[in-house]
Amino acid sequence: MTKVQLNAVRKQFGAFVAIENIDLDIESGELVALLGPSGCGKTTTLRMIAGLERPSAGAILFDGKDVSEQPVQDRNVGMVFQRYALFPHMTVEKNVTFGLSVRGTPREEIGARLEEILDVVQLTQFRHRFPAQLSGGQMQRVAIARTLITKPSVLMMDEPLANLDTKLRGEMRRFIRDLQQRFGITTIFVTHDQVEAMELADRVAVIFNGHLAQYDAPAKLYQQPASLDVADFMGASNIVPGRMKSDDLVETAIGEIRVAPRAGFETGKDVQVMLRGEAVDLLTDPPAQGGVAGRVVARDFFGASVNYSVDCGTHQITVSEQARRLVDVGTSVRLNIDPERVWLL
Amino acid sequence: MSVSSPPAPSARLTARERRTRFWQMVQLMPIMAILVLLFGGALVLAILQSLGFAPWFGVNTFPDFSYFGALWGSSTFWASLGLTLYYATVSTVLALILGILLALALVKTFPSKTFYKYLYKLPLMIPYTVGIALAVLMLSNGGMLSRLAAFFGMIDDPSQFPQILKTHYGWGIIAVYVWKQTPFITLAVYAVLLGIGRETEEAAAILGASRRTIFFRVTLPQILPGVVSSTLICFAFNVGAFEAPFILGGGFPDTLPVVAWRYFNDADYTLQLQGMATVVSIGLVAGVILFGYLAAYRRYERRMGRN
Repeated sequence: MTKVQLNAVRKQFGAFVAIENIDLDIESGELVALLGPSGCGKTTTLRMIAGLERPSAGAILFDGKDVSEQPVQDRNVGMVFQRYALFPHMTVEKNVTFGLSVRGTPREEIGARLEEILDVVQLTQFRHRFPAQLSGGQMQRVAIARTLITKPSVLMMDEPLANLDTKLRGEMRRFIRDLQQRFGITTIFVTHDQVEAMELADRVAVIFNGHLAQYDAPAKLYQQPASLDVADFMGASNIVPGRMKSDDLVETAIGEIRVAPRAGFETGKDVQVMLRGEAVDLLTDPPAQGGVAGRVVARDFFGASVNYSVDCGTHQITVSEQARRLVDVGTSVRLNIDPERVWLL
Repeated sequence: MSVSSPPAPSARLTARERRTRFWQMVQLMPIMAILVLLFGGALVLAILQSLGFAPWFGVNTFPDFSYFGALWGSSTFWASLGLTLYYATVSTVLALILGILLALALVKTFPSKTFYKYLYKLPLMIPYTVGIALAVLMLSNGGMLSRLAAFFGMIDDPSQFPQILKTHYGWGIIAVYVWKQTPFITLAVYAVLLGIGRETEEAAAILGASRRTIFFRVTLPQILPGVVSSTLICFAFNVGAFEAPFILGGGFPDTLPVVAWRYFNDADYTLQLQGMATVVSIGLVAGVILFGYLAAYRRYERRMGRN
């Protein structure tokens, strides 16, 4: 198990700055997601950790040792590419044992480790097939096996679930998580899908335009984003501007909202109020006062859950709840908001 | 009340298929006409002539294998064949090595890459005869290199410059072929390299493979289709090419195309039949080699799971 650190790492391609002074500490055995929109620099970061790109400045440390100048062959890392990068002219067996054979591992040991890893990724019966004869999920398992058999100190995955259909994505997500916990290997993966990042990762590093915007546990990232950009990227739909009326009350265009007092948010300060849809209670039998008054203007039914769009005057608030009941469009409602679940930006 | 049954769908489909096939044949007509009439016709005529059928010269001893017998029975033929294959093979192999190296360099990012991508294609647009003229200007004993060597005092006189042209080592011929065909092979291999991308090479590097191992175990097997198709074309051309060995070659014994040309150019028309036997022999040798090459490649492809 290896601790990975990025100290003020910067990467420039000509005049274009892909990564600007990123600091990142990844604990040994941790599963970290690099999350961000296309072109934000997350894959470049991953490639620098792997050794496929050299940082223009800064240092990459493995267990405190600077590996920034170490050739890719000597880093003992593993990488699963987005399109798997399997060797098309080799069978599953040859693909999986490639890493060991180029490292001069004895034949008997290669055989034993091959059996073991094929069993782990459940590909024993496909061992003589070529990549073109495999499904997407099988190809990905070959790519994972090919990497894990070399016992890398850090495992990296570039958009590991991007090329799989919905059903396979779920299966592979569980498979990757189980494998990571079983081997206890430090794992870094890149994704642009916030749901995927939250489901898989212990911590998520959100990167925008080459800058690290936030690095936190998924729950914190979701409920307490550090900026409007992060909130927006994490799918926050209810963001209302307001002004602090007191340390626990915000005056907004949709009404007064009670909040938990927080340092740095004094009376008179302009703020953005973030309300998560599932943290808002929709009261159809509303009390005369309290909460925010509104009217249901749209309903999106998803089977297990339902989303309501509630018109609160200047803003529409999305409320999400389990579909145990269905409120009709046009119903007058009041929104009850737990002050502890309101986040100020 | 009579009920008319609709025509069977299978019969309708067959009619449509027949129509489709007819249109396919019509579309193929121009190329088929060239292949069958011009190439096929010429081939049949060449074989007939080489077997003694040339009534327009007053010769008709068909079927007569004596032309082949005379040709194959002479040691000069085998020397000519050896020279032909030597020039063709060495040039193709050298052009292949240079072409692969150039293609591998071109997939990397470096300053002025666009300029070099145009520059390396330049010989493709220049005719062989110009290349031959350049070889004479540069490599002959009165050429640029010999004069430069004399100028810098490496030799006393340009005539002392080692003879590159007009020897049976064929360095001039090989130089012209390599100069002209390296860009062609580069073009073919570069296109394949662009198609396969860098990811498999990067995956191999991460797994610990050295650059040499990556090339031989990962890159080369993937670029083989480009290598095979381009070398096939170059080799076939080199076996049958006439101008370069005629102008830059070492004289007797000549390569087979030059031998054939001498027969055709002889005042004695009847020697044209001997020339045809030479041409058919070139075709046979090239055909057998290329067929063997392709068969070996197909076998390799099947072993790699590509059908």
